[in-house]
Amino acid sequence: MPSYSPYDWNESIQQRNEYIEDRLKEGSPVVATTYAGGLLILTLRQTQRKVYEIYDRLMMSAVGNHSDVEQVRMAAIDAAHAEGFSRSPDDVTVTRLVSFRISPAIKKIYSDPFAQPVVYRGIFAELGKTPEKDALVTLSYDGEFSNNVGSAVIAGSAYAEDRMREHLTSLTADGLPALDAAVAASIYAWGVGKKHIETADRADADDAEQGEGEADIKAFIADHLKAGWFVEAGVLERNVNRESRFRLLNETELGGSLAAYTA
Amino acid sequence: MSTLFNVESTGRFTDLLSREFGSAATSGPGQPMPRAAGVPDIDTHSTTVIAVKYKDGVINVADRRATAGYTVMYDQAEKVLPLDDHTLISISGSFAKSVEVVRYLRHTFKYFERSQLQPMSLDGKLMELQRVIANNMPAALQGIGAFIPVLSTFDTEGNTGRIYFYDAMGGQFETAEYGAAGSGSGPIRGAFEYILRTKGPFREMDRTTALKETLTLLEIAADLDTATGGASKHLPAAKYITAAGIHDFTDDEIRAGLGR
Repeated sequence: MPSYSPYDWNESIQQRNEYIEDRLKEGSPVVATTYAGGLLILTLRQTQRKVYEIYDRLMMSAVGNHSDVEQVRMAAIDAAHAEGFSRSPDDVTVTRLVSFRISPAIKKIYSDPFAQPVVYRGIFAELGKTPEKDALVTLSYDGEFSNNVGSAVIAGSAYAEDRMREHLTSLTADGLPALDAAVAASIYAWGVGKKHIETADRADADDAEQGEGEADIKAFIADHLKAGWFVEAGVLERNVNRESRFRLLNETELGGSLAAYTA
Repeated sequence: MSTLFNVESTGRFTDLLSREFGSAATSGPGQPMPRAAGVPDIDTHSTTVIAVKYKDGVINVADRRATAGYTVMYDQAEKVLPLDDHTLISISGSFAKSVEVVRYLRHTFKYFERSQLQPMSLDGKLMELQRVIANNMPAALQGIGAFIPVLSTFDTEGNTGRIYFYDAMGGQFETAEYGAAGSGSGPIRGAFEYILRTKGPFREMDRTTALKETLTLLEIAADLDTATGGASKHLPAAKYITAAGIHDFTDDEIRAGLGR
């Protein structure tokens, strides 16, 4: 019988990391940020929906294999509704959901060398009663998660995420932005991230910050919009009388921010 | 993929509950209860709730009294409850059961919409409510937990308000003008017909007029039925649904409707 050594274990973890990272790279980045009236998650997409309502004050978006994203989404919806019904909607929090339900499940699959790992990297956003209580948690295919304050991003590479974060932070530095400003900053940050990923595939990408000029990014985003990509943005609104706090922004609401790219 | 994740999703909330808690722990529309000695057969006396159409949608009003036998338990009960952005349920009968059913239905509708990425159809929602009432029949027959709601909704496809009322077995009836439930609804039924014949259909009235008529009917019910509270101490609950969603009448509008 063949033996399974620590070396094999290490090897298999590395192989699955490579496999997953390679597939995540293609994903369209996602930006989540707090704005004056609530929380925003924004991305650009082609065919599949990407921003989802999970529960009364929870939403999620992700990059990855679509059926894996679906599984995580369903597991989150199930856990949230079972808890919210049997106890109270107030007991459904992103911390409990990710730390004690979703992350352990993902980790277990990831650690099993004979199971197919999930190709998934996602953001969960929870609307607090006040902006300071908003919670943004990013979760990865190995079960690792991290808490973010104010904004969070996911993309196909750690470097692209860093660049996006830097741009987003500087664009929203003057306190809580209005929805329009948050949308505009998020679209721009998306462009920064996506461009880095596409550039990184080319041989001439030695200088990583090259091509990060404002004109380059804007042209890059405009090209994608022309090629049939469109903006999908979901919000959780803090002060509404509706039963649902979640909704997708419509074309009119996005129009102002998109006008800069369609001229 | 591991079985840690549920592979397929029906969007059926009862499936989730039995998976998570086992079937015995589900909300139990349908759990037979032990018969308690001395409890009357079916005791639905507790309220008056009224729904009428008006020209832009549906109005719901309800008194605020909750009773147990001859005792007034509470005089600020909220019996007009939103199920989703265009649906109100007005509850009569067992308060505990009604509130549980409302919680159940709200989760059922939202669970379907969030998991299936499309809202549950109006017929689907109506079927869920009928099933809950029908499943409650064994308990109701044993004298505990009978409840009869009136459901109002704005049908966004047909662009019109709709009102449904029910019997204890879950039988559903759609009404063209008005629906009412609770112990005070019987005594005022003739008054609805009188208004229809002398003042014209509710569905052609404006909001203010329709509110005034329904609050008057509610006050008559409070006069004729001990289990229905009057408006002297606490204002009745009053909401309306339009294409834009559910709205509360302001206290001033309700006072004006009561002629104060």
